[in-house]
Amino acid sequence: MKDSMKPLSRLETSSIPCTLNGQEISLNVPPAKRLLHILRDDLEMTGTKRSCDIGRCGACMVMVDGVPVNSCLTMAYQCSGKSITTIEGVSAGGMDPIQRAFLEEGGFQCGYCTPGMIISVKALLDHNPDPTPPEIEEALSGNICRCTGYGGIKRAVQKAIEWRREAYESESVHD
Amino acid sequence: MAANAQGVAEAPFVWHPATAAEAWQLKQTLGTEGVYTAGGTLLRTQWEAGLAAMPNHLINVGEIEELHGIHIDCESGTGTLGAMITLSDLRTSPLVHASFPLLTEAARSIAAPSIRNLATIGGNVLSLVGDSLPALLIYDPVLHWHDGSNGLQESLSEWLSTAAVHAAWRERLLIAIELTQPALDSNTKRFVAYHKVGRRDAFTPSVVTAALSVQLDSDNRLSDVRLALGGGQTIPHRLELVEQFLTGKIANKKTITEVYALVVEHYEPKGDAFVPVSYRKKAAANLIASELWKAVR
Amino acid sequence: MLLNRKGSGARWRVRPDGPDKVTGKLAYLTDMTAPDMLIGRVLRSPHPHARITAIRTEQAAAMDGVHAVITHKDVPGLNRFGIANPDQPVLCEDRVRYVGDAVAAVAADSIEIAEQALRLIEVDYELLEVVEDAEYALEDDAPKLHPQGNLLHRNGFKRGDVDAGFDSCAHVVEETYYTPRQMHTYMETEGGLFIPGDDGRLTVYSPTQHGFMDRMQLARILAIPQSDIRIVSSPIGGSFGGKDELNVQPYGALLARATKRPVKLHNSRWESVRVGLKRHPMKISMKTGIDENGKLIAHQAKIIADTGPYATLGAEVLNFAVEHVIGPYRYENLDVEGFSVYTNNGLSGEFRGFGGNQAIFALEGQFDRLAEKLGIDPWELRLRNMRKSDDPGPFDHPIALTEGAKQVSAAMTASALWQERGNPGRTEEEQAEPWIRTGIGAAFTMHGAGLGFGIPDPAGGRLTLAADGKIEAVFGYEEFGQGLIASLEQMLIEQFGFASQDIRIIIGDTDVVPDSGSTTASRATSMMWKSLQNLRPLFEEAVLGKAAEILKLSASRLRFGEGGVYAIDADTDSSEAECLITYPALAAGCVEPITSTTQFHFPTSATEKVGAHFLYTYSAVAVKVEVNQLTGRIRLLHQYHTVAAGPVINPQGFLGQIEGGSSMALGFALTEDAVMSGGQYLTKNLDTYLVPTIAEHRGTMDVHPIEELPEEDTYGPRGIGEVGSVTLAPAIAAAIYDAVGVRVTKLPIDPELLLAQSIDQLLDKAVSGE
Repeated sequence: MKDSMKPLSRLETSSIPCTLNGQEISLNVPPAKRLLHILRDDLEMTGTKRSCDIGRCGACMVMVDGVPVNSCLTMAYQCSGKSITTIEGVSAGGMDPIQRAFLEEGGFQCGYCTPGMIISVKALLDHNPDPTPPEIEEALSGNICRCTGYGGIKRAVQKAIEWRREAYESESVHD
Repeated sequence: MAANAQGVAEAPFVWHPATAAEAWQLKQTLGTEGVYTAGGTLLRTQWEAGLAAMPNHLINVGEIEELHGIHIDCESGTGTLGAMITLSDLRTSPLVHASFPLLTEAARSIAAPSIRNLATIGGNVLSLVGDSLPALLIYDPVLHWHDGSNGLQESLSEWLSTAAVHAAWRERLLIAIELTQPALDSNTKRFVAYHKVGRRDAFTPSVVTAALSVQLDSDNRLSDVRLALGGGQTIPHRLELVEQFLTGKIANKKTITEVYALVVEHYEPKGDAFVPVSYRKKAAANLIASELWKAVR
Repeated sequence: MLLNRKGSGARWRVRPDGPDKVTGKLAYLTDMTAPDMLIGRVLRSPHPHARITAIRTEQAAAMDGVHAVITHKDVPGLNRFGIANPDQPVLCEDRVRYVGDAVAAVAADSIEIAEQALRLIEVDYELLEVVEDAEYALEDDAPKLHPQGNLLHRNGFKRGDVDAGFDSCAHVVEETYYTPRQMHTYMETEGGLFIPGDDGRLTVYSPTQHGFMDRMQLARILAIPQSDIRIVSSPIGGSFGGKDELNVQPYGALLARATKRPVKLHNSRWESVRVGLKRHPMKISMKTGIDENGKLIAHQAKIIADTGPYATLGAEVLNFAVEHVIGPYRYENLDVEGFSVYTNNGLSGEFRGFGGNQAIFALEGQFDRLAEKLGIDPWELRLRNMRKSDDPGPFDHPIALTEGAKQVSAAMTASALWQERGNPGRTEEEQAEPWIRTGIGAAFTMHGAGLGFGIPDPAGGRLTLAADGKIEAVFGYEEFGQGLIASLEQMLIEQFGFASQDIRIIIGDTDVVPDSGSTTASRATSMMWKSLQNLRPLFEEAVLGKAAEILKLSASRLRFGEGGVYAIDADTDSSEAECLITYPALAAGCVEPITSTTQFHFPTSATEKVGAHFLYTYSAVAVKVEVNQLTGRIRLLHQYHTVAAGPVINPQGFLGQIEGGSSMALGFALTEDAVMSGGQYLTKNLDTYLVPTIAEHRGTMDVHPIEELPEEDTYGPRGIGEVGSVTLAPAIAAAIYDAVGVRVTKLPIDPELLLAQSIDQLLDKAVSGE
């Protein structure tokens, strides 16, 4: 059997190389283990939340290579060679303007959906700094918030767009 | 170490074949113990819901080169989509949008972006009820399978018509989906539309999914009519009877009214605990009738 | 004035709990772990109704890694729980009554082992007839789910003679309304960590809305003194009433006591759906009659509430519904009654709105129908019958005097949205697509706050100048997202003059906080406000008195300020203002921390009618909807909510409560129903139970608070936690009628009813360009 066909298995405890919040790590876990549980139980990073377990709520959202995925649907082997960013990584270098916008506009209440929501907003604005309302709607349609009715979230996204634009413009001036 | 809802340890072997032949060979060896997996989103949902047991072996087809890639020849209006193309790829590809715009629209309506980043067109097709299917059915789709020999090509329509009862395809590996844009006759215009109606405005299971493509001449006479319907647990299919009825007719109030009645009469969707058959029929007929009206407006 | 960030100025504040929430740093109680922790799991009944003939746990108990397997035999105290009426088994002895019933529980080294152990527990069941219809449950030949039968509670109110009244009516409307089994869908499912101490005490880290109630119930189950239990209960990832009752706590507590090790439980969403509370599905039949002038002559209502297998707060919810099917109107003859009925369906209980949601949907529907019969504007009919400010409450009982009804009615009818009615500019969609129809509708409510007459409803709190100089505000309330901590901080800043860094807020820990009553029934902010009103003179006297003593000044010349005590005439805004003594310095000068305490009861009516409320919040809601007649689907284009609840304590919190409440009401009206068949849930997770997404909230929303209270009012801000969730559904129903002429009687609204009657009709319109 070719090397490429060697199974990654629990018994062989393969290590899966990936980057987590900028740090290169290897995951020594069963290959079908879900990223959600790797983060929360093995790495004790509980900013990523568990809620529905089937990708229908967005509480467990992380970015893999810059795009949002539900960590409850992502198996360890699918992270091999990928770069994972969790909510902890978003604020590693100080609070992101998106996070400040959520604070300022009251884009959260109980806060349980908030890390996943912020991940989705960040993934959106990193790709599309000036999204239209339908684009915002589409990008956030996989994140359920039960508290706010999305009013504060929509205002926070608008504020974040504004702040990021201002930051970009002031950077451009200094260049 | 976590378990799914049924408490099954998440410890299947995961195989990473590099070619379709290797994958197929693995499946032959493992039999029902092994399951092909691409994005894994639907499988995970089934495992967690207890609808399927987690298998002992997963055959990850994600590393097979030939399953990747979008190849579209704009001039001939033909293209192939690798089975591993994610729904996000489909959603954002300008090539797809230019040649097969109904697929762009279909991808927009499936699940949410985060799931579309994992889920593949192959998985959506093989679910038998994916919302890409009505859109694909407009483009004369042909499935390319690896079956251990020279490969097998089969029209999507044919496959769909028997897939629920014939399980042989489960041994095969879907490589790609070949599509052809409807040709446009001179002095005609083409009108296309895709609709998904769910129980919610976004991120919803489908109740009715409709795709339509018609060619119209300057008198609004219809030709090359293609209608596909699906939604819920209904396996999507073309409405050949209605297509034949419309072909050569002028789209006007009378025709559209008759089409409505034909769809209500002949479309046979499956109902469920949430939405009855009667609604699915009427909404499907409404969507097709209203799109024909829009086509000639 | 509409409520928004800009108009709120400096009163719009960043929530103190915000930074940890937006960065993911906040550890929820279900995020916690402990060394040597075991995982707990509960075995639930697969059957909605069955007799248990045997339970065999030996195999499970013998498994490696299993540390305890418990059944009803292992419950040392009362094997029952329930806030008002403990009739739910902790672990079933001989009978199961719903698919959430617990039969056994295990604690093991890992989730896998715990789950495997559950599979090894053998339970023999004898299946019994499933009672899935509440009306059938009331029949004589239905199986009795409890010794006293299937009627949990009956309540009613009568005045005059409705039969004679109906005989003299010019118009009578009879209709039956149905509402769904709505799920709270808090994003954090139930769970917690249970840690037995070396001292024999048990610490429970698990969300609840009333820590002291959990402590009492757990002490009763464990047969230990309440003082041996500490409940830490905040922060909470959403509750909406759903976590007021015990959920995983009895199992965590029993397993931790049995194993003498920390035990963690965290329900999967599947288990949460199966076990957790839902909103009572209700069938409400109404008959209402008016004279030729539109005066209400007679009103009859019958409520059948499906309370599921056990009581929890089913009786109290019914009482609330009975009060709110009468509502803010005056009737000559009245006969309303309700039945809360046991079935083998899901467990119904407390949920934001508390029976008001269902009642108001039905009642407001009657007004729309009657107005049409009489040929007058639906709001005009309401105005002709609306209570005056000095009228008694729904049960003819005294209530706190406000102009709320008149205020919200005037504001709503003056709103641009309501004014638009009758001369609608066609939207672009309508012009492009003739199957799009828009309509405008409105509804009205008075919603009670507090638990009502006859139910203990204690309140209170404490202020302390702590040894480190922090001003500690200590309350027995919980933060489940509503912004309670932010509102408390804002009151301390605005009413006392403290700076946020002077303040330390302590909640959610029974070892430390006083029993302030439950964080429920839209009562917590009102009760904190009242507590601070009571505490202020006491705390000023004590703390400023001490400052005066140290400073050798008259206390009457001193006041609180940012960082410390100031002269009363010092201008706070001026940088010149001199802090005479800082709080830390003042604390250092005290032998013991200075504490002021208040304890009181939520204000109640002088009545004998149990559950009758004294304080009400008034609201009127107008909504513009778009109906797509091809699909029968509805979009909300614009909402206007006016709420008369006294002063706005926390603008961001107020706006969030009304927006969030409205979103829940939108789900109640359009998409949400936990569907059951044969006592089993068909909606098992969020793939089929559909709560609104951001796409359902494309429309705009205005919130207009009315803050004025009568000068003599001493009760201050009224509750706003629930009122946003009770009035939208009937307003949507009215708007749909305005749009397409279809009367809705059942929620969630069936799109099939709204489909165009024929394609011809649509095409005719299209062709004529109408």
